[in-house]
Amino acid sequence: MTNSVSDIAEADCVFIIGSNTTEQHPIVARRVIAACENGARLIVADPRDTQIATMADLHLSHRPGTDAALINGMMKVIIDNNLHDKEFIKSRTEGFDEIAGTVSNYPLDKVEEITGVAAADIEKAALMYGRAGASSILFCLGITQHTTGTDNVKSCANLAMLTGNIGKPGTGVNPLRGQNNVQGACDMGCLVNVFPGYQAVTDKEKRANIAGIWGVEDLPGEIGLTIIELMNAASQGKIRGMYIIGENPMVSDPDLNHVKEALKAVDFLVVQDMFLTETAELADVVLPVASWAEKDGTFTNTERRVQSIHKAIEPPGEARADWEIMCLLADRMGYGDLFRFGSANEIFDELRKVTPQYAGMTYEAIAHDGLQWPCPDEKHPGTSILHATTFARGLGKFHAVEYKPPAEQPDEEYPFILTTGRILFHFHTGSMSRRSEMLDSEVNEAFIEINSEDAQKLGIKNGSMVEVSSRRGRLNTKAVITDRIIRGVVFMPFHFAECAANVLTSAALDPIAKIPELKVCAVRVEVK
Amino acid sequence: MKGDMYFARSSRQDILERAECGGAVTSLLKFALESKRVDAVLTVEPKDGSRFDGIPVLLTEPARLIETSGALHCAYPNIARFIKEYLDGAFDLKVAVVVKPCDVRAIIELAKRRQINTENLLLIGLNCVGTMSPAVARKMFEDDFGINPDDVIEEDIEDGKLTVRLVDGTENQRDLAELEEKGYGRRDNCRRCEINIPLMADIACGKWGTADKNTTFVEVCSEKGDDLVNEAIKAGCIEVETPDSEAIEIRKEKDKVARELALKWQERDFATFKQMTLDERFDYWSGEFSRCIKCYGCRDECPICYCKDCYLEADRGLVRAGEVPPEIMFPFVRLAHVMDSCVNCGRCQDVCPMGLPLACMTFMLNRELADIFDYEPGMDVNDLPPLRTAFNEELAMEGVELR
Repeated sequence: MTNSVSDIAEADCVFIIGSNTTEQHPIVARRVIAACENGARLIVADPRDTQIATMADLHLSHRPGTDAALINGMMKVIIDNNLHDKEFIKSRTEGFDEIAGTVSNYPLDKVEEITGVAAADIEKAALMYGRAGASSILFCLGITQHTTGTDNVKSCANLAMLTGNIGKPGTGVNPLRGQNNVQGACDMGCLVNVFPGYQAVTDKEKRANIAGIWGVEDLPGEIGLTIIELMNAASQGKIRGMYIIGENPMVSDPDLNHVKEALKAVDFLVVQDMFLTETAELADVVLPVASWAEKDGTFTNTERRVQSIHKAIEPPGEARADWEIMCLLADRMGYGDLFRFGSANEIFDELRKVTPQYAGMTYEAIAHDGLQWPCPDEKHPGTSILHATTFARGLGKFHAVEYKPPAEQPDEEYPFILTTGRILFHFHTGSMSRRSEMLDSEVNEAFIEINSEDAQKLGIKNGSMVEVSSRRGRLNTKAVITDRIIRGVVFMPFHFAECAANVLTSAALDPIAKIPELKVCAVRVEVK
Repeated sequence: MKGDMYFARSSRQDILERAECGGAVTSLLKFALESKRVDAVLTVEPKDGSRFDGIPVLLTEPARLIETSGALHCAYPNIARFIKEYLDGAFDLKVAVVVKPCDVRAIIELAKRRQINTENLLLIGLNCVGTMSPAVARKMFEDDFGINPDDVIEEDIEDGKLTVRLVDGTENQRDLAELEEKGYGRRDNCRRCEINIPLMADIACGKWGTADKNTTFVEVCSEKGDDLVNEAIKAGCIEVETPDSEAIEIRKEKDKVARELALKWQERDFATFKQMTLDERFDYWSGEFSRCIKCYGCRDECPICYCKDCYLEADRGLVRAGEVPPEIMFPFVRLAHVMDSCVNCGRCQDVCPMGLPLACMTFMLNRELADIFDYEPGMDVNDLPPLRTAFNEELAMEGVELR
């Protein structure tokens, strides 16, 4: 997030796009509600009538994958109504003329046709966002899990910069991270192209610096393979061994039949996880790990806040903290000297040296409330709002984005758009939540939400079994008939391994971020 | 005997120096432990030195007690629930427990439900005019007081002022009413609370009525309390004087002022709802509950919710499984189960991720029921909750049957 969670309450307008906030980020939703109680207007763009959408002043039910067109349309309205922040654009940004030219090609009738949202509503949303004193954008995987994911994020940034809604309280471009420490994992370089602190592996100088701290001669400088590329390479025999930590691709990745084929193709598979997940079941070796309550360390949350956690109980059986396993492994490989850590605290001291954003953080300073990066030195109070006076690259760059349709469009054979997501009662692949009796008693099976008119046309009754198929796979599941989803779109939660929505989804990738298009694929729904 | 009042202070120099108000409470706890009246002491201490992160601690070493002395206004762990869940209701353990009025009232409500054995508890009550949310207090100290919250070593609420003492010895003071107008100050349930002196405990300790900073005003509220205080005096653990009538009057007057202020807050906070018709009220609350995400936080944090097999859970078939927001029966069943017994601890509202004004609603209904049934929850183990108690004469009425 460019801004902070509590900061949302100070917004005059909150624009949520692609986030089921009350169900997936309830604590963030509380701040949205606080903003509304303070008089803020709320706009929610989602093809489903989610709980947060019912609270909105304006709900835009756009078709999945049309986000960039919607935002271009809003920007055109803002410019046409002279609501853009000329001073901010002049002093803080570049590329305005180009983007103004691009969005001028998005008149509202055209945008209505692409998105399915009434032109009048798009105009209303644009005016609400553009006229408010401080406007905040919240987004989640509804924006990113597309072949145009990168473009969609750029569109959100464009809208914020156009109206000067960056660097001030109650504003910002705020992605909501879907796991407690996914921000921390990225910060630590669990990505294919960067070392800790987003230092490019291709940057020779940075590589040398980090190699020096780590006590090695050099480090690999080639960009690695992202997860989908990895599965493709494995199935082609180019990857022979795989080591998976804390991830359950056999439920979370698109096109599961292909994932299974890939994981079976490797010669050696290690899975390090708390539970024997669907992925771990395929492994040659499973290393059991400690849970959050059984280890010390830090988590970095969605607002870049680094917080310490403390072991409350000992891990059961042979389970150990991830870092202990890595150290033992390094030792067996003959690199024990480079991994002589006695505690999470000692590791933190090292990562401060490697990660410029964390340089000023000490274990003592993060003990109570944590600190938000960047925190360059020990006197620094942390940063609650990014880009207050300047952007990382100097001027903020407008990236003109043209609308591109999703990789797979509905057609005669597969006439519906399937969009997937999570529900309140389960977490991600269910590896934890489905082992909770209480949560599983709330919802213990998959379902597909379908609009009541669509259901009637197909002769589907509420609760009846339907067969859902795509170009990649098929499954049988229970139909839930509702008016809370637009016609032509169906929704499935992906938590349920025994009826996994990701058997159907497409592994088409965003060309830059290489994120798969989990939010749009074409399916057929038939009465069983 | 019950009703006896003392000015008390510790006889020990180390306790006098470290503790607040003469350290009478610390010395009494120490005596209770050393004289084997109890097996352990349950109290609250700062976690890792932070006043804003208080945790319950169970101590068996008398020497550790001194570290827990001093009031923490921003720490209010769920003491009643702690005894029930982690000390097995104190059925097999004698414990001295340091309690605020709402803590002891929750303990009494759980005792009525056979979840805690008060026979084994020695309840050391502390006067309380309110606690503050740690997050709100930190922000208030930073933004309004202009001080670093981590520099605070003592807070005090007295005569409508909030005073904080800092590590460098300086003091900082603000008008409490002004702070509360700005949304700072005490938690809103505390503002509405009329019960400042915990006379339902075994002893009630506070500073009201004392003339200096090194004295605690102690009122004996039970035989157990009487035994503790008398024997502690005999053993030379505390020194006492008898408060004069002026001191007693001052204490009474301060209590009255605090109660009147609470009633004003009740009137103010309840006014919006009281002027609604019943239909309007229903619509209002239905609207509020449309934000509920069925996290069960209110139930899990409620000190008096105790059913092992809860009606609200999906497998009971009363509330439809897997629905968000849950149907209106979800909040209503909870309300029906606790509203006659609510001790206004405010926890349901504290934990609600959607910020629903649950404490306000439950306590308002509780006040209405208190009038109807002439019943105050959490006062006496023998007073049973009116909505779950049927008297013989009621059962004898035509058409009344117990299912």
